[in-house]
Amino acid sequence: MAAPPEPGEPEERKLLGFLDVENTPCARHSILYGSLGSVVAGFGHFLFTSRIRRSCDVGVGGFILVTLGCWFHCRYNYAKQRIQERIAREEIKKKILYEGTHLDPERKHNGSSSN
Amino acid sequence: MAHAAQVGLQDATSPIMEELITFHDHALMIIFLICSLVLYALFLTLTTKLTNTNISDAQEMETVWTILPAIILVLIALPSLRILYMTDEVNDPSLTIKSIGHQWYWTYEYTDYGGLIFNSYMLPPLFLEPGDLRLLDVDNRVVLPIEAPIRMMITSQDVLHSWAVPTLGLKTDAIPGRLNQTTFTATRPGVYYGQCSEICGANHSFMPIVLELIPLKIFEMGPVFTL
Repeated sequence: MAAPPEPGEPEERKLLGFLDVENTPCARHSILYGSLGSVVAGFGHFLFTSRIRRSCDVGVGGFILVTLGCWFHCRYNYAKQRIQERIAREEIKKKILYEGTHLDPERKHNGSSSN
Repeated sequence: MAHAAQVGLQDATSPIMEELITFHDHALMIIFLICSLVLYALFLTLTTKLTNTNISDAQEMETVWTILPAIILVLIALPSLRILYMTDEVNDPSLTIKSIGHQWYWTYEYTDYGGLIFNSYMLPPLFLEPGDLRLLDVDNRVVLPIEAPIRMMITSQDVLHSWAVPTLGLKTDAIPGRLNQTTFTATRPGVYYGQCSEICGANHSFMPIVLELIPLKIFEMGPVFTL
């Protein structure tokens, strides 16, 4: 995330000058879905009402709501995934350390099931 | 360490810093959406042709712009408080190091398993080897193990200092006559830099902190005690 840009890579772009969508997990996904939601909501409202100004308001409101919804949904799943990765990493480490010893959980489990 | 002209946070080396980066992303996204809304409102204000001098009240709008900011603040405060309490957890540290601020160097004491005490001065530019970092490298680094909870006790012998290592998410004031405590667990080995973060005199910018984090097995072999 904090690595300097490599010579061949394009310069990093930040939305409104501060939101780094490329390196922030879920940001690009949320902004894209938000934009799509904004266009759908605004254009759909215009088709039904033919009111330009109000349709723009609906579009902006749709952008904010869809972006926020996608953001929370994606970040929740990302947090769950990180926890699962951490658990898996710990279990792999434990397995490597204890395999074949009396502390091996698989040996204990097999021993209890055979009894 | 930070690269030139870096504005964002450094990569995390501790679970707390990972949480802080996550919270920072969350807050930035909310700020981005608020800024987008404000920019749109500004655009509408500047392009409207309507002039109405008879507006007397706007109850619905006032309700919305009171309730909505309150909801936004709650959405920001809840994760913030969660991390705040997380930083105060103390998980049975394996090692305690004392860090004492002086004008203008740090003293470190490893007294758990012996009486190792040493000073850490910034390397003057004339003493730098090729590859050393100007204004950041020190003569004696703080060598610590990774994946072990470590307690830092921080104080000062003269004026206020602050012991900060951004990649670990640490910044604790060194106050004379007071002992402050901070704990951390590093998740990856490497050399990590920080700088004094409380104005303390002429050479405030020239008393850096360098942590050398090594695997526990190597730390137990005792490289830190062969000074």
